[in-house]
This record gives sequence, C-alpha cells and structure tokens, in this order.
Amino acid sequence: MYRNTYDSDNTVFSPQGRLHQVEYALEAVKQGSAAVGLRSKTHAILLALKRSTGELASYQQKMYRIDDHVGIAIAGLTSDARVLSNFMRQQAMSSRMVFNRPIPVNRLVSSIADKAQVNTQEYGRRPYGVGFLVIGQDKTGPHLYEFAPSGNSYEYYAMSIGARSQSAKTYLEKHFESFADCTLEDLIRHGLHALRESLQQDKELTINNTSIGIAGPASVHEKDVPAGGSFRILEGEPVEVFLKSMVPKETAEAQAAEAPAAEAPPDGAAPAQAGDQDVSMAE
Amino acid sequence: MTSIGTGYDLSASTYSPDGRIFQVEYANKTVENSGTVIGLRVKDGIILAVEKLVHSKLLVPESNRRILTVDRHIGMATSGLLADGRHLANRARDEAYNYREMYRESPPLKEVVQRLGLYVQAYTLYSSVRPFGVSTIFGAVDKTGPALFIVEPSGISYGYHGAAIGKGRQIAKTELEKLKLAELSMREAVFEAARIIHLVHDDSKEKEFQLELSWIGEETKGLHLPVPKDLCEEADRKAREALETFE
Repeated sequence: MYRNTYDSDNTVFSPQGRLHQVEYALEAVKQGSAAVGLRSKTHAILLALKRSTGELASYQQKMYRIDDHVGIAIAGLTSDARVLSNFMRQQAMSSRMVFNRPIPVNRLVSSIADKAQVNTQEYGRRPYGVGFLVIGQDKTGPHLYEFAPSGNSYEYYAMSIGARSQSAKTYLEKHFESFADCTLEDLIRHGLHALRESLQQDKELTINNTSIGIAGPASVHEKDVPAGGSFRILEGEPVEVFLKSMVPKETAEAQAAEAPAAEAPPDGAAPAQAGDQDVSMAE
Repeated sequence: MTSIGTGYDLSASTYSPDGRIFQVEYANKTVENSGTVIGLRVKDGIILAVEKLVHSKLLVPESNRRILTVDRHIGMATSGLLADGRHLANRARDEAYNYREMYRESPPLKEVVQRLGLYVQAYTLYSSVRPFGVSTIFGAVDKTGPALFIVEPSGISYGYHGAAIGKGRQIAKTELEKLKLAELSMREAVFEAARIIHLVHDDSKEKEFQLELSWIGEETKGLHLPVPKDLCEEADRKAREALETFE
C-alpha cells in the first residue's frame, strides 16, 4: 500500500535518516500554482498565478495581507495557509500590543517555522501542506523569506515556489544580481517575466490570473498608497499596465540569442523544465 | 543494519532483540549526512565554526545564520535537521532563563546541557514522537571557565576540548587532536577552525558552502558574538591559501 516502509508516519526516520512524510508535504507545495518573490534595496514584491476551476468560477486567492508591513503569497493547501496566516496576524497584532512596534519580518517567519516543526515530530498530526513567500519591510529594510512545511525558513534575494517554479527560479538566478538597484516598475517586470516561465504552454498572464503584492513606496502607476508604502495587493484592472510593460517572450528570446555567449541559448529553460518533476501533476 | 525491514526499527519505543533502538541510530544518520560543525575550547575562550552548505545562490549570505545564542554567554551550533535545531535552541533559551530566574545568576553551561539532555532523551521513549534529528555543540565561558559540550540525539552529553559533528567529523577530529588546544589564543583558534572547516569540505562532491564563526571569551568580554567580519574574512582567505599549498 505504501511506496516505502518508512513513509506512513511522520514520527519515523528511514534508515538513511530521512523523514518521508515531511518530504511528501514538500511535494504538496509543488501542486499549488506558482508564486514568485523578489526584492530591491527599496521594495519587496510578490507575484502569483491564480487558478480557476472553470469559466463560471472565480479565481483563487493567492495573497494575504498580514499586517501593514507584511504580506504573503501561498502555494499548496489553502486551508492550511489560512490557519497559518491567522496565526501570523495574531503574532503581528500581539507585537503591536505588547511592544508597540510592528513585528520584525524575520521574527514572524520564525514563529510559523517553529510551529510547523512540531508537526514533523509528533504523532497524530501531519506537516502543513503549504509553502509561503513572505515579504515585508522593517527597520532593516525590505525582506523576502521562504517558509516550507519542513519548518525551515530562509531569506532570499529572489525565490519562486509552486508548480513548475524551477523555470521561474532559473530566470531569477540569471538576473538576480541586477534586482538590488531596480525601480519598482523594473522589479515587477522581472517578476512577471519569471512568473511567465512557470506557465504551461499556450497559457498566458492576464489581469484575471495575476496577482501582484508590493511592500514599499508607490509606483508611478499607483494611487492612494500611504506614505510608508504599506503592503497592498494589485488585482484586475491595476495589473494591466504592468502586464503591458512586459517584453514579449519571442522578442526577449531573440535578444538573448543575439547577445554574446554569456547569455544562455533561447531554449535555455528547457533542461530546467525537464528537472521539474511535478509538471505532469500541475493541474 | 541487519534488522532493517524486520519491524524492530519503526518506533523509538521498540528495542531490537539485541537491545538497540534503531530510530535513535537513524536520527544519528541524519546528523552524519549534514554539514560539519566544530567547536574548540582554548585557554581563554570558545570558538564555534560551521560549514554552512548553500543550497541556492539566491540566498542572502549574511542572513540565515546557523549559530544561535542561548544566553549572553552561551552559544550553540547544530548539525542535522535545521528546524529541530531551532526547536532545541528555543528550549535551551527557556532552560537558561529559568535558571536565571531561580538562582539570580548566569547559568553554568553544564547545568543547561544536562537539562537539555533530559529533554532530548524524552523524545527517545515514545512511539508518539521521533527523536531529535540533530547533534548540538554548546559553548560558553561561565564561572568554571571555558566549557564545550555535545548533546546527541540519544540525549547523552559529553564535555570536550575539541568537538566535531556532521559529515566531516572524522577528519575534523583528527585535525583537532593535532592542536595544542590549551595553549592556543582565541585569535589563533579562529584561524585553525577556519582551516579545518575548509579542509573537511569536499569541493568535488559538495555544494557551495559558507564559513560561519562565533566566539566567546576574553576578546568578547564573555559574550557570545559572531567573529568580526574582517577577522572572519581574513581567516577564510588564509584557510584557502593553506589548503592550496597543502595540495
């Protein structure tokens, strides 16, 4: 019945010292649609691909506001995400109540990581089946963190999670060194380009299936953003101007091909996609 | 490992017929496959050094620290499951805090380590939990002077002059044994620690790694602090050079 003798229970180590149930939980994250996060010196942003079950259905929610200064994008089980984001909101509120200050992003991410760790060690529970990208700004500037069901959390310059996210990651790894000095508009364009890599063939980014989350000062295309640049989610109409700023994929690839050998060949993303094992399970 | 598949290795609450608890041994396996961590107890202080394996170049280098502070004067570094290590660090902080509350003085490391040993051991008794997948090196300068301990997944703890856990522990131990630890100054020990971490790292097999160093002692007025950036970089560079001339 099981694929493996040591995988029915998260309180069992395999002889190699692995925890199969935790590894399977990490697979659950890859079932969710992709989310991308990146940051510059001034901003941290999230971009996510929303799925819809059909013509008559609305699109799923991929981003949540936690506090004025923090927001998340999710990939995996939405119900688990709601439990964890509620917990994050409580932590954020308690920091404002007890210490009279917004909670440092690092502290917030660690608190859910510690919570998730317990579910990998005790019987009768399962690890959470959701991964987060968390962005926020605090005294030390803008930040981007990844949270995983294994209870690990890391800070990144740029990261992607979810289905076919390896292709987006390949894009980010190629360009991340330029992100630090990007304007918000350029940063969003990079994010959209990365997110586009995770699309299935013949699908494209539209104002309906794309969410953008921003922490940091307002873009020239935004109105009514508070001076501090608190976290906001752009969906629908306001996304259009950013989608239009994208360089069409064929043009981008042609440019890459013309560039000297330092650039990858136009089909550079292909081998990475081959390594992305969840492609067949994407939907 | 002849008992694999006989059913005696599926729970921490089961002995095998020859009296072993396999789940604890498997927990040790987790540690044996993780990045190397070493600790040096020298005449006036403690050095902790970690081979931090970098799984992505998108990681922010200064962030994601692997050496954690338990109390003003106590540092720890784990090898194994990272999340378990953080759980243990939180428990260690609670224990140190409780000791302070009760006795109104800074806790001796031995006391904190023994209490943690009891905690870790409790996770080897029941089928409802799994043992910790981490070994931890604790270092401190307390009223007894410099102190260095390892807590293993079984809950057992020993004091050491030089400690090594993780993948490269065998080579690291051999190197540590060559040193005259009791005569080294903290600064000298930083260079030795960096050299050992570079030596045990297998360039051909392993991913990229970053050297992380912290210390406690005269240099830091008894506080557990990261080794200053310039000294850390110098140690890193010298370690690379030493390795090149060695090969």
